Amino acid sequence: MSQIDQNKVLIDWQELSLTDEEFRRARSRYKLRGLIPVMGFLGPFLLLWSVFLAIPMLWSIWLSFNTGGLIDEAKFVGFDNWSRMLSNDELVRSLKNTAIYVVIAILTVFSLALTIAGLLNSNKRGQNFFKVALYFPLLVPPIMAGMIFFFLTHYDMGIINLVLQATNHEKLNFLGDNPNALLTIVSLEVWRGLGFWVLFFLAGLQSIPSDLIDAAKIDGAGSVRRFRKISLPTLRPLLLFAVIIALIFNFQLFDSVQVLTKGGPVLGTTSVVWFIYKRLFAFQDIGLAYATSVGLLIVVVVLTVAAYGFLGKRSEN
Amino acid sequence: MSLKHPIGIDLEDLARQDALTRRAKSALSYFVLGLFVLISVGPILYVISPAFRESKSLFSYPPQWLPNSFYLGNFKFLLTETNYIRWGINTLIFATSVTLISLVIDTLAGYAFARMNFPGKKLLFGCILATLMVPIAALLAPTYLLVRNLDRWTFGLIGLDTFGGLIIPMTVSPLGVFMMRQFIETLPKGLYEAARIDGASEWRIFTKIVLPLMKPAVVVLGIFVFMQQWANFLWPLVITTKDETRVLTVGIATLQGQFVTNWGVIAAATLMTIAPIIMVFLFFQRWFVQASVAGALKQ
Repeated sequence: MSQIDQNKVLIDWQELSLTDEEFRRARSRYKLRGLIPVMGFLGPFLLLWSVFLAIPMLWSIWLSFNTGGLIDEAKFVGFDNWSRMLSNDELVRSLKNTAIYVVIAILTVFSLALTIAGLLNSNKRGQNFFKVALYFPLLVPPIMAGMIFFFLTHYDMGIINLVLQATNHEKLNFLGDNPNALLTIVSLEVWRGLGFWVLFFLAGLQSIPSDLIDAAKIDGAGSVRRFRKISLPTLRPLLLFAVIIALIFNFQLFDSVQVLTKGGPVLGTTSVVWFIYKRLFAFQDIGLAYATSVGLLIVVVVLTVAAYGFLGKRSEN
Repeated sequence: MSLKHPIGIDLEDLARQDALTRRAKSALSYFVLGLFVLISVGPILYVISPAFRESKSLFSYPPQWLPNSFYLGNFKFLLTETNYIRWGINTLIFATSVTLISLVIDTLAGYAFARMNFPGKKLLFGCILATLMVPIAALLAPTYLLVRNLDRWTFGLIGLDTFGGLIIPMTVSPLGVFMMRQFIETLPKGLYEAARIDGASEWRIFTKIVLPLMKPAVVVLGIFVFMQQWANFLWPLVITTKDETRVLTVGIATLQGQFVTNWGVIAAATLMTIAPIIMVFLFFQRWFVQASVAGALKQ
């Protein structure tokens, strides 16, 4: 008791306390000093992100109102690029091809991957072996995958046609005919992506509490019914997320087109990115490439925000 | 002695039938799984055959599955007549540099977003998140123009046909920052706070406490980035025109254009490129599997 009294006497609180002005200044000084280590940690990334991502993004919006710029000076043309977009047959064709490719590829790879993941989940023996074996195509860069598919599907030398020939069947024109060429590219992408989606869905399936499944088993639900009534509904948020991610990835179709078909035959496999690349580096109608890039950019950003906004909502629940 | 159910069902028989259908089902499952393994691995294995054969025998009829001789001419041609080795070294330089640089900047930034407070943090993170998946394909024109202009400002360090121009733009990956932040947030806060109270600086906390705990996340992100850049085609294609900076993916694509008829060489190049990565994979498969799923799943 006496000690506290002594403190009261010794400390003149009035003198020690800061005025509002002093307090504000000290606080901002403290905050500024706190920013130094923050910038140390964040600085390198922020610098690179601004220079190579944020600035190009803003710049590309400006570019979409311009033409030229690669070999000559850029010239402002207003909304000209944008208004010409939908009347360009090749672009419309590329959009259509990409859309068809994306839909078929996602539907095929998801249904196959879900089936395989389901099989692996209920047949535990050798699971690791299958995981590893299905992973192999993922190790092959799309360019090399394209080469491999060349060896399989070439009209004269492809092994599939050689076998068809040897067994007295008619040869198939995998790459030189529409819509075969686009379907061959779809199958390449399915082949490469399958392992990834199997792992993805298997991780999802394994996160389903086993008592749910056991309860359904006791109630006499068969495996197909269990899959439809329990696994699919539980996986639905994950599935939606997966669809958006797959949309973003597959929309960037380029490598296999470059290796296998170069956009042909007769624009049968042109994709959006192929269109952009061709316009930019064949130096023809660059303005259209600029505007198309911004279109692609908007699609990707909107899909990303949707995917993670959605995911955020899910983790809150 | 057979167990008779009151109504007359033979329980033993029922159990036997049940086991039989279960075994049949499981056999069918493994058959389907095996089929998909064949589809996955078969095409890769097939490339071995043309790689060890003379190109003219590729047309042979009936089709030849196994090379009848161990022909090494394709590999010899690749190593002596083309710049394959140069491309290989370039690919290693490219993929390794991108991986190391982005690991450093991503862990640092991830730490800042997970454990530090500063004004505008939420807004900034939101902006970065929105660019999470922006592909180089959508920024091809401005990034190309930027690198071309940077040549002057960086004294030739970042420019067309330079390693700087090839590497630096690829090191920006918001996804990496996101993954690192998510991982650091799962680490126990107590450790961090105890060090804080003891007066340790942020740098000390980061290097002595957080970093040692981050090994798994760093390995997973490292493999993820390396695999991505190893396979990268579009950016190297755009930014390099000379063999001094060309990488394998671009080099082999040009081979395909040059030696349309010399298929054996292309097969050999494909095989030689994917063989090392498959070896590495077989050693570290658990990490690879985690890395590929983490890229999309780490939330």
